[in-house]
Amino acid sequence: MTEHTLRFFGEELNQLKAEVARMGGLAEAQVADAVEAVSRRDVPLAQAVIERDVKLDALQRDIERKVMRLIALRQPVAHDLRRAVAAMKLTWSLERVGDLAKNIAKRTLVVSEAEPITPLTRSIERMGRLVEVRLKDALDAYTAGDLDHAMNVWANDEEVDEHYNSLFRELLTYMMSDPRMIGACAHLLFIGKNLERIGDHATLIAEMLHYELKGEVSGERPKWSGVDGGVSAAEG
Amino acid sequence: MPDFAPPPPPPTRLRDEVAAAFAGRSPLVGALCGAGLVLALAAVGHADMAVAGVAAGALALFGGLLSRGRPALVHAPGAERGEPAARPAPADPFEFALESLPDPVLIVTGGEVDDLASRRIGFANAAARELLRIGREGGLLVSALRRPEVLEAVDEALFGRVETEVAFESGGAQPRWQRLRARPLPGPPPTALVVLHDETELRRNERTRADFLANASHELRTPLASLSGFIETLRGHARDDPAARERFLGIMAVQADRMARLIDDLLSLSRIELNEHVPPSGRVDLALAVADVLDALAPQVAESGAKVEVKAPPPGQAVIAGERDQVVQVAQNLVDNALKYSPPGGLVTVEVLTDLDREAAAAARPGPRALAEGGGRMSLAAPDWGDAERYALLRVSDQGPGIDREHLPRLAERFYRVEGQKSGARSGTGLGLAIVKHVVNRHRGGLTVESAPGRGAAFSVYFPAAPARKLETVRELAPDPRLETKLS
Repeated sequence: MTEHTLRFFGEELNQLKAEVARMGGLAEAQVADAVEAVSRRDVPLAQAVIERDVKLDALQRDIERKVMRLIALRQPVAHDLRRAVAAMKLTWSLERVGDLAKNIAKRTLVVSEAEPITPLTRSIERMGRLVEVRLKDALDAYTAGDLDHAMNVWANDEEVDEHYNSLFRELLTYMMSDPRMIGACAHLLFIGKNLERIGDHATLIAEMLHYELKGEVSGERPKWSGVDGGVSAAEG
Repeated sequence: MPDFAPPPPPPTRLRDEVAAAFAGRSPLVGALCGAGLVLALAAVGHADMAVAGVAAGALALFGGLLSRGRPALVHAPGAERGEPAARPAPADPFEFALESLPDPVLIVTGGEVDDLASRRIGFANAAARELLRIGREGGLLVSALRRPEVLEAVDEALFGRVETEVAFESGGAQPRWQRLRARPLPGPPPTALVVLHDETELRRNERTRADFLANASHELRTPLASLSGFIETLRGHARDDPAARERFLGIMAVQADRMARLIDDLLSLSRIELNEHVPPSGRVDLALAVADVLDALAPQVAESGAKVEVKAPPPGQAVIAGERDQVVQVAQNLVDNALKYSPPGGLVTVEVLTDLDREAAAAARPGPRALAEGGGRMSLAAPDWGDAERYALLRVSDQGPGIDREHLPRLAERFYRVEGQKSGARSGTGLGLAIVKHVVNRHRGGLTVESAPGRGAAFSVYFPAAPARKLETVRELAPDPRLETKLS
């Protein structure tokens, strides 16, 4: 980061980033614990996740207040303004991630009462791991200011969607074969959907870093359209 | 721990304080040795007494350094990559020893309680820099470690002046279990010593054992039931029927064979899983490994009636950091799969590509255009960001029936089989791709599958090219790896 003539101002911006990073850590932990609670049918852990969400909301309000103060008092421009705005937008995303994790935890309470459906919870766990890694990558990129890393997260969103689609089909099969499972399966479906949305927020975080560093919104997300225009082994 | 709580510390007592902080991990040993530095380090859990002795000395030295001012110990990882001559030589062996401690050690300083940006990493040894991916300045604590329970533990040590301990799991492609201990050091400013200890192996052992038992008992029951069924029949009414006996014995041989393969695969899978967090240390030429595998699989190639086409660079160009046996197993599983699903006369293409960056490797772009439309692509394993710069890739494609999109995410799951695939004389164990995935993960590589139903499938694995991204300080003393490349 470039040196600031106003030392205080630079420190305030750094502090803001640190606060956002801490909030990110909490959001990550919420997601990880929620997924763990689903896969292990861990009711106390799910309850802990639900209770901890308050903390995340408080952090969000706190950071937002700080950003407003900073904008009002220092009147930042250009990159500094984008840093402040990106920090605020990031907290909104992280707060949403926390809500989704909390929702997963709430559904876990219900799912844990039903009979265990191991293959399905395994699929959820796998998808959850993937989403966790994406969230971690996005936040790592943000704390390190690593644009390449962020763009890598941004470009690889389909994988989560692919997992979600696969989970959706799997759930349908289960529900059709045994109507008694429809209740639990519906909750698992929403859990999958929540995870998919958390993955979207990871993408959003990457986009915000792009905005912060480049000052422009990243364009259309690339979609894989088959192997075309490739080079063969001989050429490459 | 009142037994070795020091008097209000003059700066030179800091060394004892650091050592005592280590000793604090085992009150018994700590009490025995007081400020005895050697034993203090032994309590950290390093069986190697020689290392412990040196490191304890280093801690004493570090105390001295800290008292002189900010430690100048943190080397930039970049400097290690550059020419060794440019790197400042360690001032003395103790500094070098502290650097080489296997457990990550951090010294964290704090300012105001409510100012998160004031908690900074003042010192990080080589292991800590490697684990947390931090550079020379160390930077903000929260940029390196942001797990809430970790921050709380460090805060307790910094401001509450009490010793804390917390276990946490780091995310990423190879999640690791860490136990973190934070202990206050004399200030001001508020200072704490943070020591991390890897417990992944322990936790993984527990989990793997449970998984292994569950899988093994379930999957072995099927062939076993079939065997005992036939034994009963042979003892009963098929006793005097030579034709039936021959037929049954044939089936039994197939089932016994299947059980043997299953056990082999299960054993190698659990072996790989146990070591998954330990990066391999050897060097393998991917092109040569593939050539060996194709030689070994010649009978299967002949039997399947498929044609195999190989596109590989000359030896010496696709050298990867890896363990030869495991890389060979990966290539073998992939080629074997391709042969299994190839129609007679179908073409199996085996390609080796070198010098790709992470993105190109993950995209696995080159390949038959036939897979372009209506196909799916899925990454089943991918390395953590920044693990390596260049990759070598092995791609095996077939013209078989392909795999439906919906199965792609689950392919590498153990015992997952796409429907209608269980029959056949050479039916798989359902573990082949699981083994591939775990080997690839251990090598910090990636696995990608592309498939178009009806037109074929392609599996790509990519491994970090050798030499590895970063040479550890100690390894720099070894002969230049580039020389080895020329020799091999």
